[in-house]
Amino acid sequence: MATLVPDRASMFSEIGLDTQNKAGLGRIIANGPIARAEEGADGRLSAQIRIPPDELIFDPSILVMPHGGDLELEIVNDDTNTHCANLPSNGDNKWMWLPVYSRGRVTLNLDGPGQYWFSSNIGNDEGRGLIGAIVVLGDVPPEARLDRPPQPRP
Amino acid sequence: MTEYVETRPVDFSELSAVVGSAPPVAQNVTYERIREARSESHNWLTYYGAYDGQRYSLLDQINTENIKQLVPAWVFQWGAAGMHAGPSTYAFEAAPIVVDGVMYVSGWDSWVWAIDARTGQNLWVYKHAVPFDTSLCCGNVNRGVAVAKGKVFVVTLNAHVIALDAATGKAVWDSPYGDVRAGESATIAPLVVKNLVIVGSSGGEFGVRGHLDAFDLDSGEHVWRCYMIPKPGEPGSDTWPADGEAWARGGGNCWVTGTYDPETNLLYWGTGNPGPDFDGEVRPGDNLYTDCVVAVDVDSGQLRWHYQCTPHDLWDYDSTMECILFEQEGRKLLAHFDKNGYCFILDRTNGQLVRVFPFGERIDWGEITPDGKVTPKKYPEKEGEPVHFWPGPAGAKEWTHAAYNPRTELFYVPVQDVGAEITRRRREFKESIPYWGASVIVDAKDMRGFVKAFDASGNERWRWDAKWPISASVLTTAGDLAFVGEPTGEFNAFHARTGELLWQFQTGSGHHSSPSTYSVDGRQYVAVPTGWGSWVEGFAPGMLAGQHGDAVFAFALPE
Repeated sequence: MATLVPDRASMFSEIGLDTQNKAGLGRIIANGPIARAEEGADGRLSAQIRIPPDELIFDPSILVMPHGGDLELEIVNDDTNTHCANLPSNGDNKWMWLPVYSRGRVTLNLDGPGQYWFSSNIGNDEGRGLIGAIVVLGDVPPEARLDRPPQPRP
Repeated sequence: MTEYVETRPVDFSELSAVVGSAPPVAQNVTYERIREARSESHNWLTYYGAYDGQRYSLLDQINTENIKQLVPAWVFQWGAAGMHAGPSTYAFEAAPIVVDGVMYVSGWDSWVWAIDARTGQNLWVYKHAVPFDTSLCCGNVNRGVAVAKGKVFVVTLNAHVIALDAATGKAVWDSPYGDVRAGESATIAPLVVKNLVIVGSSGGEFGVRGHLDAFDLDSGEHVWRCYMIPKPGEPGSDTWPADGEAWARGGGNCWVTGTYDPETNLLYWGTGNPGPDFDGEVRPGDNLYTDCVVAVDVDSGQLRWHYQCTPHDLWDYDSTMECILFEQEGRKLLAHFDKNGYCFILDRTNGQLVRVFPFGERIDWGEITPDGKVTPKKYPEKEGEPVHFWPGPAGAKEWTHAAYNPRTELFYVPVQDVGAEITRRRREFKESIPYWGASVIVDAKDMRGFVKAFDASGNERWRWDAKWPISASVLTTAGDLAFVGEPTGEFNAFHARTGELLWQFQTGSGHHSSPSTYSVDGRQYVAVPTGWGSWVEGFAPGMLAGQHGDAVFAFALPE
């Protein structure tokens, strides 16, 4: 069916929301690339996130875990500015410097479905675009669910 | 080829002055000590200070004679950073627990801290990772922790109950007990009784089925669950439609801590509103066990008796607030100040009504006669037709707690006088989507509050008029004082016998928490979390733009 409304990606590009200092001052937040964490044969989840030069964005900025548990994450800073990573994990957030041309590994524990926020929490990296979400799919364990018939969802 | 520098992560709290450990003072906190908590009033061992829910301390170093000298001893601040669930609605609602000089307190977004109760030094911190898309009706809050046998117990916003090592803050066990996809969450302060950690669920505005759960204190193993909405065929199910699944979405959540009587071996817990809140036509009947005081056998989780304060609720009048245990003329009674504006005095051995009296200011939703007969008068009935009533859905008193002082034999009640206009708007039920069945506008200009003192016969003995609704818990002491905070930040001390305002301190942010008192090295402190937020549009919309904050203030007399 024909539509007069342009597709979302081209409209972002046309307005300049998908780049730094064009439409807004920074790139519109939480609108970067998306990727799935990889699940190895042993069930361990892993992923890599990079910070590309001059984009002030995590790639991916939306990382999807198929279920809760531990995630082995590598973060690589390809930018020529210093950033950091403040990452959610049960017990305490994990944090590391990301100097120019650096890489670091961290293990996160996220225990249930939902969206968990992460960022580079220095300067206004967050406002410029260095903010993202780890999305955990799946359901809570059977013992935590309500004893009732299946209910409709939106 | 680019050479990359290797970088290593740290726990974020390492980049702070947090000590990382606390003295092992909680190791010897046993059930026997909690049962006799009032006898060691230098501590605040359990949510209400003692199982009876009186929020009364024997400490009297701070008293009516010297209260004017009270000054801040220390302030603990944390602050919100980054994105979290309810970024505009988070609030600091906890009741600080204190054990032999160490304070354990929980905050919004599943933060837990151990603090030196003498200096305010942060000893350890725990952070549970919480999805920022968790369904929350009323803000990102937590009402406190429980402590026993070397552990700190707390629920997380995404409906886990966890045990932390009280000396290190590290997790010992973690048990999920609610379904975030169904709209459940958890905000309650756990109650430890015997070897059980007892918690309830939140989510009554999302059409869930409320429950109370018990977990083994040592292992985290689930011991029992008591649903507050009966399944078809179970006792009470005849108060729900025989056809359909209204019961499955019936609410009745236990989102506020109950009290306990070791002699009856019963927990006294309040249950929440039915779902949908305002559209009763889809759930004809009394809708048990919503809006009830229920007595639950602590060992088995079996419901022994119930008393329903608002049958077939059409006003969002949860009964989750405290049940204060007290004795009068040799009878074992409980007092429950309900959202519907009435106080119910029940015989706690059998649930029989002893007396009921109004404590709210403007009450026109209906009438309850002294023998307990309920007559609804104003309620949303016709689709699209607005109805105004008092008190509004936040109630004449919210979840924040009254206190009882055995010296004065008076109850001190935080009162809200706020009405609302409700328009019934039917909607289909869908899991995780708010299920109110109405459009809700709470009065933003015509509002006020009171601190009122009643005797157990229902006689009002004094009142203090406030410009804004009083939406914080009261603390009372053997110093003949009653403490309570205001939405505008003032923390007040009243003469418990006369209601005279004796002392006031501006903390900078509104109060929606439960103060506690304790002493260290012979010096008495009064501690109160401040941090305005939560369901402000419900209980004080005229203060929706009030000053945010997030601090624990500890007050003491000058050394």
